[in-house]
Amino acid sequence: MTGARSERWTPVLFLAPAVVALLAIGLYPLLLALTTSFRTYLVAKPNLPKDFVGFANYAAVLGDPTFWQALGRTFLFLLVVLPIELAVGLAIALLLHQPGLSLLRALLRLSLVIPLATTFAVVGLIGRLMFNDQFGVVNHLLGIVGIAPVQWLGQPTTAFLAVALMDIWQWTPFVALVLLAGLTMVPAEIEEAAKLDAGGAWAILRHIQLPFLLPGITAVLILRTADILKLFDLIFVMTRGGPGSATELIAVYIQRIGFRVFDQGIASAQAILLLIVTIVLSRLYIRLVYREVA
Amino acid sequence: MRIARGATLAALTAALLGSSPLARAWTVEEAAAPYKGTTIKALFLDRPGYAAAIKLIPEFEAATGIKVTWETLPYENSRERQVLDFTGGTQEFDIALIDVVWIGEFAESGWVAPMSRFIDDPALVDPDLKLDGFFPILLESFGTWDEQVYGLPFDNYSGLLFYNKCQLEEAGFTAPPATWQELKEVYGPKLTDPARDRYAFALQSRRGETQSADSFMRVLWPFGGSLLNAEFRSNLLSPESQAGLQFRQELMQVMPPGIVDYDHSEAVNALAQGRVAMITEWSAFYGTLTDPAQSRIVDCLAVAPEPEGPAGRKPALGGFSLGVVDTGDEARMNAAWLFIQWITSEAKAKDYIRAGGVSGRTAPYDDPEIQAAYRYVEPMVASWQDGVPDFRPRFADWPAISEIVAEWGTKMMLGEVTTEQGAKEIGARMEAILEKSGYYDGSKKLLK
Repeated sequence: MTGARSERWTPVLFLAPAVVALLAIGLYPLLLALTTSFRTYLVAKPNLPKDFVGFANYAAVLGDPTFWQALGRTFLFLLVVLPIELAVGLAIALLLHQPGLSLLRALLRLSLVIPLATTFAVVGLIGRLMFNDQFGVVNHLLGIVGIAPVQWLGQPTTAFLAVALMDIWQWTPFVALVLLAGLTMVPAEIEEAAKLDAGGAWAILRHIQLPFLLPGITAVLILRTADILKLFDLIFVMTRGGPGSATELIAVYIQRIGFRVFDQGIASAQAILLLIVTIVLSRLYIRLVYREVA
Repeated sequence: MRIARGATLAALTAALLGSSPLARAWTVEEAAAPYKGTTIKALFLDRPGYAAAIKLIPEFEAATGIKVTWETLPYENSRERQVLDFTGGTQEFDIALIDVVWIGEFAESGWVAPMSRFIDDPALVDPDLKLDGFFPILLESFGTWDEQVYGLPFDNYSGLLFYNKCQLEEAGFTAPPATWQELKEVYGPKLTDPARDRYAFALQSRRGETQSADSFMRVLWPFGGSLLNAEFRSNLLSPESQAGLQFRQELMQVMPPGIVDYDHSEAVNALAQGRVAMITEWSAFYGTLTDPAQSRIVDCLAVAPEPEGPAGRKPALGGFSLGVVDTGDEARMNAAWLFIQWITSEAKAKDYIRAGGVSGRTAPYDDPEIQAAYRYVEPMVASWQDGVPDFRPRFADWPAISEIVAEWGTKMMLGEVTTEQGAKEIGARMEAILEKSGYYDGSKKLLK
């Protein structure tokens, strides 16, 4: 009897630390943000009362044109970087999936991990140096092919482009590794049979490999969308959201409200709205893209 | 015999007085004795004034037995780090680093203790404290709020004109420009040659406090403009403010392209590498520009006060005071006070300057040796005579307003909006913040 009871509790005890940690670092901050979003909470004015204000913070956020502009800029960023990361990542994955390239594959896999292992802030610093108009490597390379130096970080469009390029540099390897994992799931005999049936590379990709890639693509879409919606460090170090507000994505704006203006009520309402956007997009991705292999 | 008896009496009196606590000279060693073994923590920046303090700290620790620790952060994160510490109850910091524009916020929130608490205690106050030995503008601007002293000036800056006298001489100038107008119209064309990548001037204008303080405000005051009028309404649409902002747009013709991405390091580097001939920068960058490892123009470097505008010189004023965080722990607070009093004292001022800092005391700058060794001294002292204490408003709402100015100030420079449109946007948003804070309904004193 005692043995049966202890057997019943063993899994609970094993799971408990993870569940407690998840509640502490996941659920508690979320609930705190939710309750804060319904209050006046100016951190830097501790003498002001933290009154319950209902949906006033949400109304203020929804009526704030800067919030919408930052959100629009974030979706533009998403639309620029995600397709490129998927296309280039798929090309790398297909290259590494070729038989007989074991040394190249080992080297490339190793080098693909390097950008992933670099923190966002360091990527921002690298970007600031690479796109420096005086001694940056990007202008140096352009100079070799006869293109005049570009004021990358001093002009709105080029600054946006420079930040996008750094994001693509950092995250394309992640996409490539996820898609490569998907390709390794394709049964070798089916691929062989398709090749023998004289199927072209496109036909094999479309009909044989793509079904195995869809779960990975869905994961990439969800993770990268969430990443871009909270992209802060890279931009703060590289451009601080400028020039003007050219690179002020939504997370940079929320940080500005939360930790410069110290209006935690408004910042929490913005964060909750952003969470809702992320959840809606994730559900859309799963509904539209995700397919189990039949 | 009489003489001998008199001498004995005198010796006795002296001995008695000598052993009396009233007659003994105050020393930091004795004042710190009750706090020996106490550890205090400060927030420092990665700038020369803090490196200088770090060099001097071992001397204080040896004399007092108080251990001084510090955390070094970039300026952009320093207010956030401190505010979260003060409001989160973590009580990590004992010494507050107070930027000139944070004094109102720190004092009104009760995060720093008024200095009178320590100055009124004979056991803690050095008889040579001499508050009147600080430059009045520095003590008023960096350390005083609502007529109470909360901080002692520690890392002190004045905007100065750093210039490459060799380049100016090559262009036929024997002296730096006296006025902003002259800089733009006379010096600008002769020193600007985009084909050779040479420019007359660089004004650091990157989004952030650099844009709002170093760029935007810098062109308001000399032209007679200001951010706010006496009623705390926006003054940015006044003809004087517009003249200053419009001047900045025109001045961009003699500046390197991409100037809206120039922070302090880019502007200083542009001068140090000979790409630009003049910059207006904080006095603290003198060390960088005279370091042969970082500057190619060491022998050509010259320093002058900032040019004058139609309303006078009104140079940029900036800097930090040190205050005692009101942690409620008396030992830590008293130990922090003793350190602040010591590091900003007149007695340590020359050591601080020689270690690379810029003291806020007047006395060391009278020393001919200091004047000869540090070329920035004369123009800096002159600038502190002409300065505006509220060059930037020092009230608690400045950080929020600074964000707005930084955003719309760069948009103006990029030509995305006109100076008038930008001024309207800043004015409307700024007044909304001030209204919310109670400046217009009489619930808050008009202090800045």
